[in-house]
Amino acid sequence: MNPPINTQFWMGSAGLASLNYCVTALLFDGSNSDKQKEKSMDPDAVAKAFVDHYYSTFDANRAGLANLYQEGSMLTFEGQKIQGSQSIVAKLTSLPFQQCKHNISTVDCQPSGAGGVLVFVSGTLQLAGEQHALKFSQMFHLMPTPQGSFYVLNDIFRLNYA
Amino acid sequence: MDPDAVAKAFVEHYYSTFDANRAGLANLYQEGSMLTFEGQKIQGSQSIVAKLTSLPFQQCKHNITTVDCQPSGSGGMLVFVSGNLQLAGEQHALKFSQ
Repeated sequence: MNPPINTQFWMGSAGLASLNYCVTALLFDGSNSDKQKEKSMDPDAVAKAFVDHYYSTFDANRAGLANLYQEGSMLTFEGQKIQGSQSIVAKLTSLPFQQCKHNISTVDCQPSGAGGVLVFVSGTLQLAGEQHALKFSQMFHLMPTPQGSFYVLNDIFRLNYA
Repeated sequence: MDPDAVAKAFVEHYYSTFDANRAGLANLYQEGSMLTFEGQKIQGSQSIVAKLTSLPFQQCKHNITTVDCQPSGSGGMLVFVSGNLQLAGEQHALKFSQ
C-alpha cells in the first residue's frame, strides 16, 4: 500500500519500513504487545498523538512519564542536562508545583532520519494559583522501539520570557 | 569535539549569515533537508533558500538568548535556539524559537 503523497514527500531516504506503524495512544504506554503494522503512518499523526499523550500524562501524573524515556534519553530543562529515565522523572516530579495545565498552541514535526520523528511544540503552562500562564517551547526527538512504539531520545524544554 | 562548541559555532555562523546575506545559507542545506517555517513545509536547499530570500523584509537582526544542544543519535546533533528578531523599521522585536 502506498503511503499518501504527503508522507512520501517527507520520507526521503529515511526508509518507509521504519515508519510502518499504526498510530494510537497505546503506542506510548509501553504495555502494548499488539503490533499493528502494515498500515501507513503519518508523522503528523504520530506527533499529535504523542503530544496529546505526553502533556495529559504530565498534567495528571508526572511519574507516569517514566516509560516514555529510556536509559540513553536526555532532557535539557531550562539549561540543566539530565540523562536516563530515572533521573529525568526524578527531575520532573520534583518541580516546585503540585498542579499544572499545558495548553498547546503549535505542533510541528519532521522525520529525523533513522526512523525518528522530531516534534516541536509551543504553548503555555498554567500553574495552579498563579495569575499569569508561562510561555514555553519544547523539542522532542522520538525514536521507534522494536515493539512498534516510540520513546523520547531527546527532550529540550525552555520557558519563553518577555 | 565538544557538542556545545559545535552548536555555538553553528548558531553564530547561521544567524550572522542570515542577517548579512540569506542566499549564503544555501550550502548549509542539502537536497533532503527540510524546513518548516511558521507551519509551511519546504524541502531541499534550493526551495529553502528561495523561501528565506523571499521573506518580506530587507534587513533583520537576530539576537540569540538561549542555545541548547544534545546528540541525536547516528552522529547528529540537535540545536534548540530562542531569541528575538528585529526587523528594520519595526518598533518591536519578534520573539522566536528554532
